[in-house]
Amino acid sequence: MADDILYDLKNISKKFVKGKETITVFDDLNMSIARGDFLAIMGPSGSGKTTLLNMLGGVDQPSSGEVHFDGKRVDTLSETQLAAWRANNIGFIFQFYNLMPMLNAQRNVELPLLLTRLGSAQRKKSVAAALELVSLSDRAKHMPKEMSGGQQQRVAIARALVSDPKLLLCDEPTGDLDRQTADEILSMLQLLNRDYGKTIVMVTHDPAAAKYAKRTLHLDKGEFVEKDLAA
Amino acid sequence: MTGFFSQIWTVIKMNVLSLPQRLWMSLAAVFAVSVVVAVLLAFLAMATGFEETLAGTGADDVAIITRTGSQSEVNSVLSRNTVNLVSTSPGIATNGDGSAVYSAEVYVIVDGIKRSTQNEANIPLRGLSPDGVDLRSSVSMTEGRMFEAGRNEIIVGAGVQRAFEGFEVGQQIRFGKTVWDIVGVFSTGGSAFESELWADAPTVQGQFQRGSSFQTVRVRLSQPGNVEPIREYIANDPQLILDVDTEAGFFASQGKALSGIAIFGWTLSVVMGLGALAGALNTMYTSVASRVREIATLRAIGFNNSSAFFGTLAESLVLSIIGGVLGALFAWLFFDGFSASTLGAGFTQVVFTFELTPALFVNGIVMAVIIGMVGGLFPAWRAARVPVVSAFQGGE
Amino acid sequence: MKDLYLVFKNLTRKPLRLFLTVFATFIAFMIFGTLGAFQQALNSGVELSADDRLVTINKINFTQPLPIAYVNRIRALDDIESATHLNWFGGYYQEARNQMGMFAVDPETFLVVYDELLMTDEEKTLWLGNRQGLIAGESIAANFGWKVGDRVPVNSNIFSQRDGSTVWDFDVVAIYTGEDEQTDTNSVYFHYEYFNETQSFGGDNIGFVGIKTDDPSKNESVIKAVDDMFVNSSAETETVPEKAFNKAFLDQIGNLGLILTSVILAAFFVILVIVGNSMILSIRERTGEIGVMKTLGFTSSRIFRMVLSESLLLALLGGTLGIVASGALAEAVNQAPIQLPTLVIGQSIWVQALLFMIGLGLITGIVPATNALRLNIITALSRD
Repeated sequence: MADDILYDLKNISKKFVKGKETITVFDDLNMSIARGDFLAIMGPSGSGKTTLLNMLGGVDQPSSGEVHFDGKRVDTLSETQLAAWRANNIGFIFQFYNLMPMLNAQRNVELPLLLTRLGSAQRKKSVAAALELVSLSDRAKHMPKEMSGGQQQRVAIARALVSDPKLLLCDEPTGDLDRQTADEILSMLQLLNRDYGKTIVMVTHDPAAAKYAKRTLHLDKGEFVEKDLAA
Repeated sequence: MTGFFSQIWTVIKMNVLSLPQRLWMSLAAVFAVSVVVAVLLAFLAMATGFEETLAGTGADDVAIITRTGSQSEVNSVLSRNTVNLVSTSPGIATNGDGSAVYSAEVYVIVDGIKRSTQNEANIPLRGLSPDGVDLRSSVSMTEGRMFEAGRNEIIVGAGVQRAFEGFEVGQQIRFGKTVWDIVGVFSTGGSAFESELWADAPTVQGQFQRGSSFQTVRVRLSQPGNVEPIREYIANDPQLILDVDTEAGFFASQGKALSGIAIFGWTLSVVMGLGALAGALNTMYTSVASRVREIATLRAIGFNNSSAFFGTLAESLVLSIIGGVLGALFAWLFFDGFSASTLGAGFTQVVFTFELTPALFVNGIVMAVIIGMVGGLFPAWRAARVPVVSAFQGGE
Repeated sequence: MKDLYLVFKNLTRKPLRLFLTVFATFIAFMIFGTLGAFQQALNSGVELSADDRLVTINKINFTQPLPIAYVNRIRALDDIESATHLNWFGGYYQEARNQMGMFAVDPETFLVVYDELLMTDEEKTLWLGNRQGLIAGESIAANFGWKVGDRVPVNSNIFSQRDGSTVWDFDVVAIYTGEDEQTDTNSVYFHYEYFNETQSFGGDNIGFVGIKTDDPSKNESVIKAVDDMFVNSSAETETVPEKAFNKAFLDQIGNLGLILTSVILAAFFVILVIVGNSMILSIRERTGEIGVMKTLGFTSSRIFRMVLSESLLLALLGGTLGIVASGALAEAVNQAPIQLPTLVIGQSIWVQALLFMIGLGLITGIVPATNALRLNIITALSRD
């Protein structure tokens, strides 16, 4: 059973000190994510969903508790170790795409591969495959500013995929897009999950987006309220 | 540590590629550094040019003899008798006929109109004895001919012709009551002698009521650099109250006259450099601020924070080095070879050209690198500490 | 101005940037103040020249001597209040590098012609009565630590005594001050008689003649009368107003004014670019806010004025600090034992500096202020 679990969070608490006040985001939160899951996390602003995503990405640390990823503890890793860990295991997709404005699509996608030992020929092959997957092979040489929002987000997805991470983390991936484009992007995530077995965690406040996930967790005031909304 | 350096290299490349997006801010930093470097190099080129001119003037195998304590040629006075005595000293090379190689010289100051200020300025008129010309190395007539003994004829140094009006061959020139024919132009390969007018010593003595007195004696040393026999000879004769030095030593000390300019140039450009540093810091902090999301995204992807640090530092260095090179180029185009003249130790105009040597160029680049280093260091530190969560924040 | 609070808040919202731009401005104005004072000090020799004073020199060059007999012949001419003669002595104290402007003069007429050197009548009498007496300017006296009553040995690098020695002994009888703060007090004067009787060559010659005319309007006729008198003699003369003589002498060193002006301009140009850019940037960052202010009802022209005030304030802040610092620097230079003219950060420097500050503030503010003026509310608010 344990082998099916990719991510395991045990007794997580997270507190911020803001001025004189201490804000508790999570208190004794437990959750696990199975391999091959497509999980949507919803919740009003201030519910802690962004903090949770940051923790899953190794960008933020819990105040107490344990985080196990793929059977290994990650909350005790150093900054540098975490950077390397992210490079190997996590692909990020951001609300505002966060492409490097001075690099073309191909170069943007290539970025994570620069952290590996792959040679340039191999990198080229992987980049081409990733762009193919998001149907942007014809835009490989385009600069971000020459592309629409949807296209930029597809480049971002390609970038998240290219190093074959175990987990894709999406932060409001369609928050900046119109409905039709959003549907395209979400279908693509769904396809990646179903046909390529990618584990995906997506934070969103859009119920229509959440419908694409296998299951949805509702976060409110730092606690889960599970409802099965999957179609 | 997969590709620690390749990570840094990637980020450096990206930062440099993205420079055009911060074009005006970057240009401001480049410009500030280039002006500082240009100012520094202009002053250093001035001081170096002056020093080189005088250093190139004196020969090691020629000794110059002046009255004790006179410090410069114009202040010295030697009687005919003194000249006769000292020319029999040991240590002086001889001609084929056994006579000593020496030139007793008269040195008077006359006026000329300086082109740059249109005002009268001091030019030395030197009366040479027959061996005088041979005692200067590499004298060549670039125009006209040598003066003839016993006639009111002068030849003009190339530097005088450059800096002063009215010294063309064929013209006549008046000094007080006497009229002189300009019969030639001579070059000595850029040395301070080019800032002089030359004529026959007895003629100058006559026309300037100098009787039989001279200012200095130059002798050819039988052993280059060795003035000891002459010094000893002078010390043993109570009639002789004289200083002796090699000509090289004599002029080298005069070349230090403008070293103050170099110090002034350094002080000034360091102060201006502080201003440019403020500009560089401003530019780089702005650059980091505008790249926060990029930096955070790279960190989220898995780049380490040293890459953000070195990327920023490299950007700053690239800007300041471009500035340094532009400034040096400007200085080279506009100041190298620039001809100027100033009042030298002999109380006369020394015509010299600014000289931008490779060593000075290095100074300018070092200055630029220091500004870039310091100007990049603090912003780089800030870049390295950009929190990864910034990647998730929207907007600007 | 009601908006001053807002302007101030805008200016100080990014303390680091404020510090950097003020610092850059500070540097430029410190350079301006110091070099400007230096330039003024150099020119003070020209500026403070007396209008009714002429200098007669040998036509060949001022280093060539004139016969002493010329002085009495000049005195006999019309429209001349007094004439005196001076010899450059080439004096230095203890070490050759301690050179000074030292002249052998005729004290009685000297004090009449050069009346801007201030001493008590008592001191004057003392000097006239002491053949070995020497008067020194307060600046050079401070440099060498000379006090009234000291007996000081001075070397000449031109002349020697009959016994071959180049050292003369003098009594310091007075330390004179200048009429103006910038009057040269780096010179030393002593009796021509003492000089002429003891030196070993070139006797009865003088260096140049200083003439005080009855009125500056007589200068031209006096110049002509003097030079005509000696034409075709063995030593022809050239008489020029003191101002022209000092100017020509200064020019001999080189075009210092041009060098200093160029350096000051370069410094200002750098700061203009740095501060201007910074202002443009900080206004661009505030695009959204300016949009909001416009929706609140602030008029465009009012916002324009606010941005301009901000850049003016910035320039005034950095500039004032810079000039104050240059004042302190000038004071330090004046106290230092070096033979430099007295540096004064006076009214004229302040006035010029203020004009430059206003100019700098307007130039650096005009582009961002215009941008803010033209800003359209819709685009301002839709920018993310």
